[in-house]
Amino acid sequence: MATIEAHREGMREVPEPEEFLRFTLGQRLEHWVLVFTFVALVTTGLPQKFHDAAPSLWVISALGGIDNVRLFHRIFATLFIFESSFHLGAIGASVVLKRFTPSMIPTPRDFLDAFDWLRYSVGLSSRRPEFGRYDFRQIFEYWGIVFGAVIMIATGLMLWFPTYVTRVLPGEFVAAAKETHSGEALLAFLVIVIWHLYSVVFSPNVFPLDQSMINGKISRERMIEEHLREYMRLMGIKELPAHLSSESVASGAAEKPPDG
Amino acid sequence: MNGRKWGALLRLLLAACFAVAVGLTLVRAAPVAQSATPPSPSEQDSNASCLRCHLRPEIAMTFPNGDALSLTFDEQAYRNSVHGDKLNCLDCHERNRRYPHPLPEVSGRREYSQAQYELCKRCHFKNYTLTLDSVHFEALSKGFAYAPLCTDCHTAHAATPIRESRTQIAQACSKCHEGIYEEYSSSIHGSALREENPDVPVCTTCHGVHNIPSATTASFRLDSLNLCAGCHADKELMDKYGISSNVLKTYLDDFHGKTVGFYQKEGTDIWPDQPVCSDCHGVHDIKAVDDPESRVIKENLLTTCRKCHPDATTNFPSAWLSHYEPSLDKATLVYLVKTYYRFLIPFMVGGLVLYIMVDLWRLARNR
Repeated sequence: MATIEAHREGMREVPEPEEFLRFTLGQRLEHWVLVFTFVALVTTGLPQKFHDAAPSLWVISALGGIDNVRLFHRIFATLFIFESSFHLGAIGASVVLKRFTPSMIPTPRDFLDAFDWLRYSVGLSSRRPEFGRYDFRQIFEYWGIVFGAVIMIATGLMLWFPTYVTRVLPGEFVAAAKETHSGEALLAFLVIVIWHLYSVVFSPNVFPLDQSMINGKISRERMIEEHLREYMRLMGIKELPAHLSSESVASGAAEKPPDG
Repeated sequence: MNGRKWGALLRLLLAACFAVAVGLTLVRAAPVAQSATPPSPSEQDSNASCLRCHLRPEIAMTFPNGDALSLTFDEQAYRNSVHGDKLNCLDCHERNRRYPHPLPEVSGRREYSQAQYELCKRCHFKNYTLTLDSVHFEALSKGFAYAPLCTDCHTAHAATPIRESRTQIAQACSKCHEGIYEEYSSSIHGSALREENPDVPVCTTCHGVHNIPSATTASFRLDSLNLCAGCHADKELMDKYGISSNVLKTYLDDFHGKTVGFYQKEGTDIWPDQPVCSDCHGVHDIKAVDDPESRVIKENLLTTCRKCHPDATTNFPSAWLSHYEPSLDKATLVYLVKTYYRFLIPFMVGGLVLYIMVDLWRLARNR
């Protein structure tokens, strides 16, 4: 990284920010609303799935019985639906207002990144892929959540209003929705616990906590280390010195600059 | 003079000895008589004096309220009863030792039975105590004249070991619960009982015997699952009739059963609105699931669902998998979804754990 800094100093006179804004206040609020509803839905949902397990009974008793738990689950589900709709609405609005930055849209490059990252991680390649605003893990996780949310909301509503559903669909769909809701919930829970908590808490890179979802900021060091292409875009750097660009950001310059 | 004097003294001494001997014999004899077993009925003496009158067919009495009571004793029935070789008339009818018999100080026949029935507890204390927790005793203590007493089910003089005859149990209950008995008789359980089937439940199987609880409480409703499961989760018994023994598990795994299962585990006394076995299958009138009159046969299931889901339509009942575990044949879609997650979840978890390990390894190498 020292070479990059040397490169920057050679190019610019103006002092560079020590920190970059990673998430706006609105994004951070959205994230914590999502965290809250997710935890609440898992807490009130998994004990229903694992109804035979002793901890389930403990949770359900603590919350005042299964009827309360079902009510809470539906209240948080409603909040979750609102949050998801708001997120969708915000994206829609930004598209309409032509302020949309397609930083979360997966591109073929992300799949290549994943492959390259694997090769680099296991030592098959010394070429470390460089990432844009969001790396392939973050993009895949985001879309996992989006699809997971669509499935959970759709099947959850089917379970909530089975008589309406069966006016159109066969009854077995309700039973299948229950199975899907239950399986997808466990999947989402495990992915978040294993993957997301590793990325933002337990990974030696960020331990004890990646604070960018709290203060919204990311340090210049981490920006360069983890999101070099985004750093270059923000700093207006078109090309790296030859010895770096050949290795790491082959197509960085080709990326379409975002609108805003 | 001397000789007469000595003679008199000797007679006095002999008389005293005799008196002492008689006295001792009496004193010793009394406890022996008390602890001895009641005379066997073959010794006609003990009951003979009673039977001299009470075998006569015309003998009867009228209570002050006009109730008539035949006093003719059916000796044969008594000899065949459980008490026939154990109890004599006076063991229970002690107050009639005197003759002429004192008139009972009650106004009618029912009052007489109520006044007398506690006699049973002298020997049957345990079962008597159990009845004190029963819904019948509750009715009795509220003054309901026809709340059953021991003798109403067991009879006074012809008590036979009722538990050995399952049809007799049902008939004993039917004396008061006639409508229920008729429903039961037409049910799959009741009709099998008439064919002397030893496995089907009779009244007491579900309701208990002496401490019969109220069947309209929340706790009875919650426990009713276990009553049914007592037989219907018994694989060996159900295999005999080709019936699934998986019904409780599949119920508890689904929406209705999960809620009721939690009510059970929480130990709360909430009345479960969710259906228990009897809400769909019926209570006393349970029919075989392929009986055209069954509430759960496909043709009738929608009506049954609508009891709680009034806006349900034709497709709705099949949202419930009819106690089937999803398989390729039954509820294929559900089975496929289940299988999908059964493979996807371990695959994802394994992949992510692997990713973390590789990532940590990379960081360790680069350090």
